[in-house]
Amino acid sequence: MMNRFIYGIDQLSKTVGHAFSWCIVILTLGTVYEVFVRYLLNDPTSWAFDMSYIMYGAVFYMAGAYTLSRGGHVRADMFFRLLQPRTQAIVELVLYVLFFFPGILALIHSGSLFGWDSARIFESSVNSPAGVPIWPVKMMIPFGAGLIALQGLAEMLRCIVCIRDGEWPSRLHDVEELEKQIIAEAAAKRAREDGGAAV
Amino acid sequence: MSNPVIALVMLGILVSAIMIGFPVAFTLMALGVGFGYYAYFQPNQAFFDNRVFDLLTQNTFTVINNDALVSIPLFLLMGYLVERANILDNLFLSLQLALKRLPGSLAVATLATCALFATATGIVGAVVTLMGLLAYPQMMKAGYDPKIAAGVVCAGGCLGILIPPSIMLIVYAAQASISVVKLYAAALLPGFLLAGMYIAYVVILSIVKPGVAPPLPKEKSNFSRRQVVAMLFKSFVPLAALILSVLGAIMFGLATPTEAAAVGAFGGFVLAMLYRSLTWPRFKESVYLTARTSAMVCWLFVGSATFASVFAYLGGEGIIKEYVLGMDLNPITFLLMSQFIIFLLGWPLEWTEIIIIFVPIFLPLLPHFQIDPILFGVLVALNLQTAFLSPPMAMSAYYLKGVAPRSLQLTQIFRGCMPFLYIVLLSMVLVYVWPQIALWLPNVIYGK
Repeated sequence: MMNRFIYGIDQLSKTVGHAFSWCIVILTLGTVYEVFVRYLLNDPTSWAFDMSYIMYGAVFYMAGAYTLSRGGHVRADMFFRLLQPRTQAIVELVLYVLFFFPGILALIHSGSLFGWDSARIFESSVNSPAGVPIWPVKMMIPFGAGLIALQGLAEMLRCIVCIRDGEWPSRLHDVEELEKQIIAEAAAKRAREDGGAAV
Repeated sequence: MSNPVIALVMLGILVSAIMIGFPVAFTLMALGVGFGYYAYFQPNQAFFDNRVFDLLTQNTFTVINNDALVSIPLFLLMGYLVERANILDNLFLSLQLALKRLPGSLAVATLATCALFATATGIVGAVVTLMGLLAYPQMMKAGYDPKIAAGVVCAGGCLGILIPPSIMLIVYAAQASISVVKLYAAALLPGFLLAGMYIAYVVILSIVKPGVAPPLPKEKSNFSRRQVVAMLFKSFVPLAALILSVLGAIMFGLATPTEAAAVGAFGGFVLAMLYRSLTWPRFKESVYLTARTSAMVCWLFVGSATFASVFAYLGGEGIIKEYVLGMDLNPITFLLMSQFIIFLLGWPLEWTEIIIIFVPIFLPLLPHFQIDPILFGVLVALNLQTAFLSPPMAMSAYYLKGVAPRSLQLTQIFRGCMPFLYIVLLSMVLVYVWPQIALWLPNVIYGK
């Protein structure tokens, strides 16, 4: 039951994160287009600047939970990794209460007001006559923060599962940094070689 | 307790929480909100009217309005695409053939490959693991000392965060409110200097002690000179051209860093297509990884901006300034002290944490000691090379250990990194004694 809940949230964060990742491609293509029309056709667009930070904001607000679900937020785990899994889980559970929820709940609260103020008047950018709407990206602040809080809840449940079972529950499969893939392959190869030698 | 003392308590809690190992971005945010609530507290106010809530949202929103930061996802995408372009094998082989007359040629080719590839990708881990699989076994076969071979791979792989276009420099420029463009120009020559010193060290070593880096056996080469040139044109030239055009466009003011980065990402895409290595799954991987790393950096910025404003409001910045100025340091001792602290922080921490949290503590002190923030940034960038090489948290060493044969001990890798660590320190001394190494290029291009 608990596991299903954890994986459900993981899956939600991952799906949303993956979907919004594509804003980076829009950002790339849009900017390349702007460079092209400005330098070669001498006819700059009026929307490129607004587009760039809106796409950037969309990625960063909405992929925060996805990053958390992959353990991607930078941390110094020099001491942490020396602990037993159960001790790790207890420490982490306490830290989540102290150092995670105060900030993120505050952001949900104030972000909602901020986003709503903007969405109510369908606020658009004043940077150019194109009038690019910026209320959606402002609304993403509370939604992104809410997703992060939900993922944080899943991480706390992971700690509880770990305290109960004595080992960390596994994570969903997803892409990993190249070095992690390569190191995992190298380790698997060595294990195979060792197995072969033993037989 | 007076407010400045409370600010120091806040800093103390932050450092302890980081050392215990909680994700830094959220720790910063929570401490900013908690202490900010106290700092901005007014007795007759409703709970949610406290100013700290506005501050937090404002900071969350202004991060996306920072033009320099928008280029981060684009440079990351370029890096992840180049990383997957299957370019490394050919690059290494062609450089190895081109450099084969040089003493220690295999190590020199490894360093050159690492430097170029790391510059294009800007990511440390991938290049160290890839070269650990590719170059390390070849150096072993050629009879190299394992320590030297390991040191070369680790040190070469780190150059990517120093030589522009590097993400670390963007983050520093954003924290110090200086121009990314100028910082790029300033870091270029020191970056080449360091790479050159690594190469010189390897060449000299292989002349003085041929036993540790023996020359390759003089067998008849299977490749004609023309073939080697053709191979260089297929691997070395396109990658170098991509980097140079991105950098050139930025430095000569043809494009903003964001525009140049977008063109670079597009170029990385085209390059990977031309090498016929870009599959749909690999492309998706690059996009997802870019999103994750960008989100990591940005949330760190949200946290640090909130933390820093509350810290300054409580007077924490003032008390540190007062204390340091009270020590009556001269600029040299201040510089030595600050760089030494950054060096020590590099042992347990990664560059993101150091630049986003600890470097800003030193930045307000620079004007007093008349230190150019650009020069300081270059010194920090050089210094942080050591963060990847020094035990116990030398990421480079662990990446290499992860792919190398089991016979290679972690202690051997660390000992192999030591000479390169000394070279980094030497390069810092050189840049300090002759600041023109860093400042000449920006001064020539942009004037004083």
